[in-house]
Amino acid sequence: MKCTFCGRRAVYNRRYAGTLLCDRCLTKSVERRFWRAVAEHKLIAPNEKIAIAVSGGKDSVVALHLIADYCKNKNCEVAAVTIDEGIKGYRDHSLPVARENAEELGVEYLIVSFKEAYGATLDEIVRVAKKRKSRQHPCTYCGVMRRSLLNKAARELGADKLATAHNLDDEAQAIMLNYVRGDFSRLHRLGPIYPPREGFVPRIKPMREIPEKEIALYALLKDIKVHLAVCPYADGIHTEIRDFLNDFEVKHPNTKFMIVRMFDRMKPHLAGAMHEFEMQRCNFCGEPTSTSVCKACELLVQLGFKRQK
Amino acid sequence: MTKMIVVTVKLYGQRRTKKIKLTQGAKIADLLKQLNYNPDVVAVRCNKKIVPEEERLLNDDIVEIIPIVTGG
Repeated sequence: MKCTFCGRRAVYNRRYAGTLLCDRCLTKSVERRFWRAVAEHKLIAPNEKIAIAVSGGKDSVVALHLIADYCKNKNCEVAAVTIDEGIKGYRDHSLPVARENAEELGVEYLIVSFKEAYGATLDEIVRVAKKRKSRQHPCTYCGVMRRSLLNKAARELGADKLATAHNLDDEAQAIMLNYVRGDFSRLHRLGPIYPPREGFVPRIKPMREIPEKEIALYALLKDIKVHLAVCPYADGIHTEIRDFLNDFEVKHPNTKFMIVRMFDRMKPHLAGAMHEFEMQRCNFCGEPTSTSVCKACELLVQLGFKRQK
Repeated sequence: MTKMIVVTVKLYGQRRTKKIKLTQGAKIADLLKQLNYNPDVVAVRCNKKIVPEEERLLNDDIVEIIPIVTGG
């Protein structure tokens, strides 16, 4: 099978576009999509410092490589931040991969752990939550606390932007999940950039228009070392929506792009529908929040973990 | 009678292999369907080369399936 564009041996059938791509054309196309997203949404400006959330998984490691390469030409500084949630048999395997890639690229590297910040690993938090018959999914604890620590780390590093490696699949899943849950507040915050607010480092998603499979192929074709494994806590509605969208994409190629594009067209109309809230400081940790206690501290206090004021 | 081929299938990161019988002219996509894999969630190497799902398989091919949906 031959590449539609250059006639070399094809490695990938981009069904949603009706084209076959060779290794060179696929990797170039992934890079072009990254650059286009950065330029179109003005995600990175010259001389900025960019903190990147790097778990060691394929998406974040590829994002690290692409951003580091882009920043070389824009006189930007790059720092990689890994959150060690403390998931035995999972995060301990991905951490060395994140570190190796950061070292290879000569990028400033920082690890922040749940244990140090909250006094407990995610495994310990989940154990307590189960004992207390909490109805919260482990992803709720992990997501809330990880976001808070990433923001804090990026702020302390003096970063102008915090880049996450959300890909097209992640974004389509998040849109669908918020629809299913009727969560308008979270839905309207999705997009390529989360605007600056006091205490928050603006979050950017430069990989948002690249399908997950193309990122994985990019890593394999470029021989980039990544950690390929599924989090032991991944299940529930997130995975159901992911599986549904993957099945739908096979039957109806381009579904994921259409979901994201449609949302992007609707987003400007949603902006005025949300009330802006006044930013406060969490009574416990001092992090920015819309109420007197941030969500991370609220969850921990509910489980009986001590939070120091 | 329909001619058959046998390919060796290996899952990424695992040593164990499996022999799978397919009809001659079968594609990677047919193999994935038989093994219940959605082509959107795996990458496939055939004889150590990354290939699209439409690639036809030959007798004695060695196929590696790499699950790419990872993380949380």
